[in-house]
Amino acid sequence: MRSRVSGLLALLLLSLAGPLPGQNLKLEKNLTVPPDSEVKFAVISPKGDFVAAACKDGRVRLWAFPSGEQRQVFDLTDQPITALRFSDDGTLLGVGGDRGAGKIWAIPSGKLKLEFAVGVRVEALAFSPDRSLLAIARQEMPAQLWDLSMARLVTDLPAKFSGSLAVAFSPDGQRLVSADADTEIRIYEAQTGALRATNSDFLLETFAVAFSPDSKYVYVGGADKTITALDPISGKSVRAFPKQSFVVGDIQVSRDGKSIAATYFDEKGFSNPAPVLVWDVAAGTVRTTILQDGFTANGGGFLQKEDGRLLLTSSSTGRLQVWSVH
Amino acid sequence: MPGNRPALTRREILEGCVALGSVAIVSSSPAWAMLNAFEQRETEHHRPTPPNEIGPFYKKNAPATSVLRAPGDPGMPLTVSGQVFNTRGDELSNAVLEVWQTDHLGHYDLDGYRYRAKVGLDSAAAYKFDSVMPGHYPDRVCQHVHFAVTAPGHKPLITQLYFATDPVFEGDPDHNFKRDPIIHSRELVRPVMLVGDPHDIQAAVRFELCLEIL
Repeated sequence: MRSRVSGLLALLLLSLAGPLPGQNLKLEKNLTVPPDSEVKFAVISPKGDFVAAACKDGRVRLWAFPSGEQRQVFDLTDQPITALRFSDDGTLLGVGGDRGAGKIWAIPSGKLKLEFAVGVRVEALAFSPDRSLLAIARQEMPAQLWDLSMARLVTDLPAKFSGSLAVAFSPDGQRLVSADADTEIRIYEAQTGALRATNSDFLLETFAVAFSPDSKYVYVGGADKTITALDPISGKSVRAFPKQSFVVGDIQVSRDGKSIAATYFDEKGFSNPAPVLVWDVAAGTVRTTILQDGFTANGGGFLQKEDGRLLLTSSSTGRLQVWSVH
Repeated sequence: MPGNRPALTRREILEGCVALGSVAIVSSSPAWAMLNAFEQRETEHHRPTPPNEIGPFYKKNAPATSVLRAPGDPGMPLTVSGQVFNTRGDELSNAVLEVWQTDHLGHYDLDGYRYRAKVGLDSAAAYKFDSVMPGHYPDRVCQHVHFAVTAPGHKPLITQLYFATDPVFEGDPDHNFKRDPIIHSRELVRPVMLVGDPHDIQAAVRFELCLEIL
């Protein structure tokens, strides 16, 4: 999703001119980037111990958190970065680019583990829980399933047309889901890429997919402004959260499965203010709304900590900031 | 250009001509090889329409209509027409053509199907639809109309139509088409014909859609 939107406009995760006035927002860290290498978007590692930023100079910068110490600067072969993803255990960082280049580094050593080239823009990446498989969502082309240990393509995951926007593995390692540009959600056997179920309920494109920690549900969000839960076995829609006024850009389920954090964007303009919402899964209601003037959220760069805090990143010229929300 | 297919294939006609002596093949290669080479050259005449990304607001199940502009809709009336064929020149009258665009202010309709349609093709695979000149979507540089074309046995074509009159090009799309970073091919920027009197100007654009054979 990030790259799809950033293809329309250079994407900032959270554009802030200054400190947020929100009463629950606390600035945790100011991270400095060179003035000519503005942050496009950022991600926070699953344990919250690293922040990685895709910068406009084509480099990925990695900081330890909360110390703020810069640990690595990675290069991606002279092309804009369009996808950035940590493995579930935070030991791998995958990066994909606008012309199909990709690299995977070990974290925190920075050792290059794999390079790949998939020909077209990488829209999204996902690692299987055991880090043996990599799913690559590609622009206008079928998503791909790669065997990381053998560094080989397992199979293409074709849609009717035009590629995929988001991919995710189930935490039990059994399923792989793709949100495809033909608006369908496809669920595959993770090891082989064999298609197991298709959900055709969505009329509009979806941009975000995430499994519940018990692998019983896959949550989907997109241009219909709704988060919908699917049964990953049958593929059927089982529950929808109330529709909002904004398009769902990215979603993340907390480790206990009790809440879902979602970033939204305004279809009338990606730089317009749009909220970050934290949903109470059991009640189906919004628990926390983060929406401030000058605050735009466009996916990624957020993490629900086990202590109940939500970490968010924002960027402005020369800096990346990490905020916490209680 | 594609046209109605003759009752006889080119090969049959050529073979007949060779047999009758009205076409002489002067070559060390056998006649069948020369005919194959001729046909090969014929298939190279039509370049596929350049693809362009689908964008985030495709919506399936659009209504079948060729009239996207409702009576009284503001904006400059626009007619887009063309033909769907493949790289061999075959007319693809069984293709499915979907189009979607913003209104004249640059807003996509996500709740309904305004300015979205499945446009029918006639027996010669020609299409035509009436709309309005799309506005500038706030996060895009250029005015555009999205196209999705599918046909059995052919690679789906996802592309976008742009207008040479777009103010972004400052009258020189040859040099300025890359001002929109999503436009990778000048071919997608089409000339606009303005017709009508000064009080009732309409824009007309031709956009041919050529699919690759699988």
